[in-house]
Amino acid sequence: MSAYEYDAVVIGGGVSGIMASLTLASKGFKTALVSRGDPVCCLSTGCIDVFSHSDEPLSGIRALLPDHPYSLVGEKGIVDALSFFSEIMEEAGLPYEGDPGRNRKILTPIGSTKCTCLVPRTMAHADMPSNEYLHVISFQGIKDFFPGYITSRHRNSTYSVYDAGVPTTLGIAARFDDASFLDAFITWLRGLEIPHDRVALPAVLGTIDPASVVEKISRAIGRKVFEIPTLPPSIPGLRLFRALKRVMQNRGIHLYWGKEITSVERQGCTVEAVTLATTGRAKRVQGRAFVLATGSFVSGGLFAGRDSVRETVFDLPVFVPVERRDWFNTDFFSGGHSIERAGVRVDRDFRPVESKIDNLFACGSILAECEIMSLQCGHGLAVATGVAAAKSCAQGLS
Amino acid sequence: MTTFEHCVRCTLCVENCPVFKVNPAFPGPKQAGPDAQRFRLDGERSVDDWVKLCCQCQRCQVACPYGVNVSEIILKAQLKYSREHMSPFAAHLFANTYHLGKLGSLVSPITNAVTSSGAARKIMGVLGLATNLPMPEYRFLSLNRGRRRKGRRRSSRKVVFFHGCYLGFNRPDIGRGIRDLLSGLGCRVVIPGQTCCGLPALGNGDQEIAKKFARKNARMLVEYIDQGYQVVYACTSCGLTLVHDYPEVLELPEGRKIAENTYNVHELILDLLENDAPDVAFGEVDRTVAYHIPCHLKALGIGYPAAGIFEKIPGLKTMILDDNCCGLAGSYGFKKKNQQTAEKLGTIAASAIKALEPEILISDCGACRMQLGHYTGLPALDPSEVIIASLEKGATKKSRRKRRIS
Ligand SMILES: Cc1cc2nc3c(=O)[nH]c(=O)nc-3n(C[C@H](O)[C@H](O)[C@H](O)COP(=O)(O)OP(=O)(O)OC[C@H]3O[C@@H](n4cnc5c(N)ncnc54)[C@H](O)[C@@H]3O)c2cc1C
Ligand code: SF4
Ligand code: SF4
Repeated sequence: MSAYEYDAVVIGGGVSGIMASLTLASKGFKTALVSRGDPVCCLSTGCIDVFSHSDEPLSGIRALLPDHPYSLVGEKGIVDALSFFSEIMEEAGLPYEGDPGRNRKILTPIGSTKCTCLVPRTMAHADMPSNEYLHVISFQGIKDFFPGYITSRHRNSTYSVYDAGVPTTLGIAARFDDASFLDAFITWLRGLEIPHDRVALPAVLGTIDPASVVEKISRAIGRKVFEIPTLPPSIPGLRLFRALKRVMQNRGIHLYWGKEITSVERQGCTVEAVTLATTGRAKRVQGRAFVLATGSFVSGGLFAGRDSVRETVFDLPVFVPVERRDWFNTDFFSGGHSIERAGVRVDRDFRPVESKIDNLFACGSILAECEIMSLQCGHGLAVATGVAAAKSCAQGLS
Repeated sequence: MTTFEHCVRCTLCVENCPVFKVNPAFPGPKQAGPDAQRFRLDGERSVDDWVKLCCQCQRCQVACPYGVNVSEIILKAQLKYSREHMSPFAAHLFANTYHLGKLGSLVSPITNAVTSSGAARKIMGVLGLATNLPMPEYRFLSLNRGRRRKGRRRSSRKVVFFHGCYLGFNRPDIGRGIRDLLSGLGCRVVIPGQTCCGLPALGNGDQEIAKKFARKNARMLVEYIDQGYQVVYACTSCGLTLVHDYPEVLELPEGRKIAENTYNVHELILDLLENDAPDVAFGEVDRTVAYHIPCHLKALGIGYPAAGIFEKIPGLKTMILDDNCCGLAGSYGFKKKNQQTAEKLGTIAASAIKALEPEILISDCGACRMQLGHYTGLPALDPSEVIIASLEKGATKKSRRKRRIS
C-alpha cells in the first residue's frame, strides 16, 4: 500500500519536534509527526528554562559562543519563538506567564528555589519575597513531597495536610477535575483560616483546567495560591505535553505514535520516506522534507558506544568534543560535563553539516554545543530551535 | 526485543495508566510490569492477584520511550496467574463472548429483554457482573448470516473483512455499511465465516480458548492472504489482537504473515481515496464531533486514519481526544471488582468530551461507544457511519449536477 505524502515529516515528539510541526502547519504545510513513546517533557516541571545560568536569560545568551544553537537562532528569533509558544498555550487553555528578559525563582519540594523563565499560570505567585509568610498544603500519603523540607528552610512558614482519599499525584490531580471534590477541599481550607500571605500546594491541582482551580481556591480564601512542581510522575510536565498535543491535533497535524524508525529511504541527496516499527506491520511515512528532533542521550536520539557517539536515525556525523576518558567530570554535580557538548552540528539553516542530505533539518537537544544541563536551557532551546529549524524547512519547501 | 531489563524507571508509563489513576489497589505499570517481573519465576506460584486489575489498554507500552513491552509483560503475568488459580464464573462467561454472542443473536429479542430486565440484573450481580453499566444489545440479524461476496468482479483490490464479534452480533448494520463502502470504492470484499479474535479469552486469563479461536481464524485468513487478499478490520481491539497477540502472545506460526497483511479499514479507505478513487465526492456534514480514540487504536501505532478521512468532509469539525481510556476495556468494566474503576474512568473521559461541547461522539470501538454514549448522553457513531453519510450526500449532489448538465 503506498502512503500519503506529507510536505514535512518531523521525527521526535518532544518540545522541539512539536514546536517545529506547529510552525510548519501554521504556514500551511501538511505535516506529520512520528515518535517513539512520550518525551522527557512529561517528566519536567513544565516550566520553560530559557537560560537559567544567569538572572537575565537574553543577556546570558548574548555572551554565548557563535556555535551555540541559540546564537544560530538569534535574539529576535528566540523572543518570537517564545511568544509563539505562549500563544499556543493560551489557545490550549494552559496559559503561561513570564518574560524572556528576566528569570524568576520558583519554590521546589525541598524548599530550595529553581531559576526559570516561563511558568504555567498556576506557578505565577511562586516567586515569593522572603519577608512573606507561607502556608504549605500537603496530602495524606503523597510520595516525595515532605512539607517539612520547606518549612525547615523558610522561617515564616507552616503546613497542613489534607486527605484526598488517594495518595498518588496522578490520583489527586484526577480528583481535582471533579467540581464536588474541589468544593469539599475549599470548605476544608477555609476552615483553617490561614493567616499567611501565600498558600502553596504540590502541583496536583487538576489535569483539565488547573489555572481555574488555582483561581477558584485563591478567590475563596483571599490569598495568593501557587503550585510547587513535584518529582515525576510530574503533573505540570504531563499537562504541557498533552496541551501541545491537543493543539497539534486541532491543527490537522497527523501523529504516528509508534516505535523507533527502522529504516530510511534515500534517493541521492534526498530523503523520501521513513519507516517506523508499529505493533504490527511497519508504517511507511513519506515526505518532501524531514526535521530531526529525536533528543539527546536520554531519549535515544544519540547513542553512546564505547568510544563513539552515534545518531540513531540517519547515522549523521556526530560532534564529540573530547576522548572518552574526559567525557565526565569526577564531580557529578559540578555542572558541565564535556559530553554535554556532543551532538549534531548544523549550519545557519539548521541543516546537519556534512550529512549529504538536502531536505533534512535538525533541532532540540540533539544539537551539538547546547550544554542543556550546565546552562539550564532545556525547553527554551527546544522551542527556539524547533521554530527556527521549521522556518528554514518551510523556506526549503516553498 | 526490549525486555523488563531495559526499564530505566522514568515513570512515563505510570503517567499514562488509567487504572493507577483511580484505583489505589493497583501499583501501576512500572511495578506490575518490569519491576515485579524480576520476581516472577516459572516454577513458582503467582501471588500478585492485583495484576488482574490491569485493563490491558496498553497505554503504558505506547508511552514507554525505551520500548519496554510493559503491558505484554503484565498480560503474561495475568495469564500465568489465571492458569494457577481458578477463575470466577464471570471470566469464563466473557472468555466465551463469541458463544454468548452467537447465542444472543440467534435469540436476540430475548437476550435484550434479559440483559435489561431488573431481575436479570440482580442475577448478574450475583454472578460477578457489574449491573449498572449498559450491556450490549444483540441484533436479530447478525453479519455472519447472509454473508456473501460483494464488489466489482475485476477490481484489483481484494479484501477479506474481519468484522469480529461486536459488529457481527451487535451491530451488523455497521458491518454491512463498511462492506458496501469498500465495494463502492472498488474493492472485492469477502466476509468469510470467522470466530472471535480471542481477545476476550485472553483478557479473562483463558489462553487455551484464545488459542483455539486464533488458530481457526489464522488458518482461514492465511488462505485468503495467499490468494492476494488484504485483511481488513474495523474493531481496533480485534485488529490489535490479529497483528500483535497472534504472533507475540499466542505465538502462532502464521502470526507474522497476518500482521504484515492486515490493515485498519480507514487506512485502506484513505489509501483508496489517495490512489484508486481520488474523485469521490464528499457531501457536507455540518457537525462538530468529538473523536474519542480507542486505546487499542493508539496502541496499533498507525496514527488515526479515520481523522484523515474526516478532513476531507466539508463542514465537519473534528476534535481528537486520545488521552483517556473509556474504562470499559472490553469485558473488564463488566466485572464487579472493576465496576468502580470503570465508572470513574467513564466519568473522567466523558467530562473531557463534554467540555468540548460536541454534537456527536465518534469512536472506532463498540465498547467505547457504549460506555461513553452512556456517560455523555451523546449519540455515539462509528467513523464509517459519518463517512457513509457524507458520501451519500456527495453522490446525490453529483448526480443532480450531472442531470443538470445533460
Ligand atoms: C528529568 C528531566 C527533567 C527536565 N526538566 C526540565 C524543566 O523543568 N524545564 C526545562 O526547561 N527543561 C527540563 N529538562 C530538559 C528538557 O526536558 C529537554 O532538554 C527538552 O525537552 C528536550 O526536548 P527535545 O524536543 O529536544 O527532545 P525530547 O523531549 O528528548 O524528545 C525526543 C523524542 O524523540 C523520540 N525519539 C528518539 N529516538 C527516536 C527514533 N529513533 N524514532 C522515533 N522517535 C525517536 C523520543 O522518544 C522523544 O519522544 C528536563 C530534562 C530531564 C531529563
Ligand atoms: S516508561 Fe518504560 S522505562 Fe519508563 S518506567 Fe515505564 S517501563 Fe520503565
Ligand atoms: S495496560 Fe493499561 S491498565 Fe494495564 S498497566 Fe498498562 S496502562 Fe495500566
